Amino acid sequence: MQINLRSLLATVLTATTLVSVAHADQLADIKKKGEIVVGVLGTDEPNSFVDPRTRELVGYEVDLAKAIAAKIGVKPVFKQIAVAARIPELQQGRVDLLAASLTHNKERESQVDFSLTTFVTGQKVMVKAGSGIADVPQLAGKKVLTVKGGTQEENVRKAVPNVDVVTFETTQQAFQALQQGKGAGYVNDEATLIDDLGKLGPAKKDYRILPTNLSTEPLALGIRKNEPALKKLVDDTLAGLEKSGEAEKIFFKWYGPQTKLQFDKRAFKIDSDKI
Amino acid sequence: MPGFDLQLLLHGQYHDWLVAGLLVSLKLAGLTIACALPLAIAIALLRLSPHRALQWLGATYVEVIRNVPLIAHLLFWYFGAPELLPDKLKERLYAGNFEFVAAAIGLTLYAAAFMAENIRSGIRAIPAVQFEAARALGLGFVAAMRRVVLPQALRVTVPPLLSQVIILWNDTSIATVIGVGEMMYQAARVESAAFHSVEAFAFVTVAYLAGSLALTAAATWIHRRWPVRTL
Repeated sequence: MQINLRSLLATVLTATTLVSVAHADQLADIKKKGEIVVGVLGTDEPNSFVDPRTRELVGYEVDLAKAIAAKIGVKPVFKQIAVAARIPELQQGRVDLLAASLTHNKERESQVDFSLTTFVTGQKVMVKAGSGIADVPQLAGKKVLTVKGGTQEENVRKAVPNVDVVTFETTQQAFQALQQGKGAGYVNDEATLIDDLGKLGPAKKDYRILPTNLSTEPLALGIRKNEPALKKLVDDTLAGLEKSGEAEKIFFKWYGPQTKLQFDKRAFKIDSDKI
Repeated sequence: MPGFDLQLLLHGQYHDWLVAGLLVSLKLAGLTIACALPLAIAIALLRLSPHRALQWLGATYVEVIRNVPLIAHLLFWYFGAPELLPDKLKERLYAGNFEFVAAAIGLTLYAAAFMAENIRSGIRAIPAVQFEAARALGLGFVAAMRRVVLPQALRVTVPPLLSQVIILWNDTSIATVIGVGEMMYQAARVESAAFHSVEAFAFVTVAYLAGSLALTAAATWIHRRWPVRTL
């Protein structure tokens, strides 16, 4: 029974490998079909979200992906995917590129390739102001809420060893559960937490973001493994945007003082794919 | 793509997560079946009762519950319904494992609607003269049902109820959306922590299959032990 199962899986895996060999050069395939399919979250303002007026996907990562598509000379097609589905969708070839708030970490390097780092954020914890929790260690033994499939759960468990973590399908559900008092804290990227706070309006004052960073998260675009031509093109495009000052403009367009995020400076540069 | 790592399923941290998930799934399914069956019988009896108002109550329950997808039920019982409670009670509820409680409530109410219809069909399969004879002997509605009709009807109902119980067992997987640490939840956790999706979902598949086959075996045994009495 076990041997049969294993040989069956071996067959499936071999078949998968053959399929990926058949598409050896993804960049050539993208050019041939005239479009690049970009996987985005679409629910993660300001990286990628639906503009309520135009009903189109817009955002920081969307702009970066559009620049890449323009460089190749093809049409960008955006596909909304769930946090947990990002890497499988890329590996199975249903998207050509991930622009989905993807953290670049060592564990993932064996699964996908990463572009130059496009954003640096820290993960933090939001709590209710009246909870009496002043910083991260006080979450010990308490229940915290976050989204499935990201690095949040792992990071909060590392920072607070005996914390109880409950995960949901979307960050909005986790935030909703915090508002309803179903947990003591809500873990996410700092930029997302600030954005979530902004959506609360006057109720904002009832919540607080704890000062300590759980981790520093370099975000990058995800590229399927062993696609050197596509990776080079993506990296060159990003480096070009940085050099021309366009990357900084895009940053301030979505994160700058005029936005909900109100970042007044940009603490990183798009110049390295090392972490 | 890495090869299939069987060791990962046999011991170590990921094994522990998956086994913990399996236990939660079993607990959730067991509790739900135990609560849903009596509730289903009660609803079936409401629908067959001689009183208009009670019939209407039973029918409304069945239609309202079974025409809404299970995921919506679970989200409602977790995010929606408890918000109507007073703050003090809410705090007490949330301090415990409310994810599990909400899933158990949602699944029980949902499964009971379908089971009630199975049981009602079973009752209708028993010739009306049985009930009439029981009433003629002086038994009331409840006593006639309990002592004469239901013991026969439940035997007839075993095969469709089995299907329903298997569906319920598999449906426990939907509880992952409200953060219940059952098998699918833990498999997704293994997937995001280690990218061993194939191993994690192979475990889950085998576990659901084994559970369903065990239920089928149990139902076959029940069916043999208490066969349908043909009239």
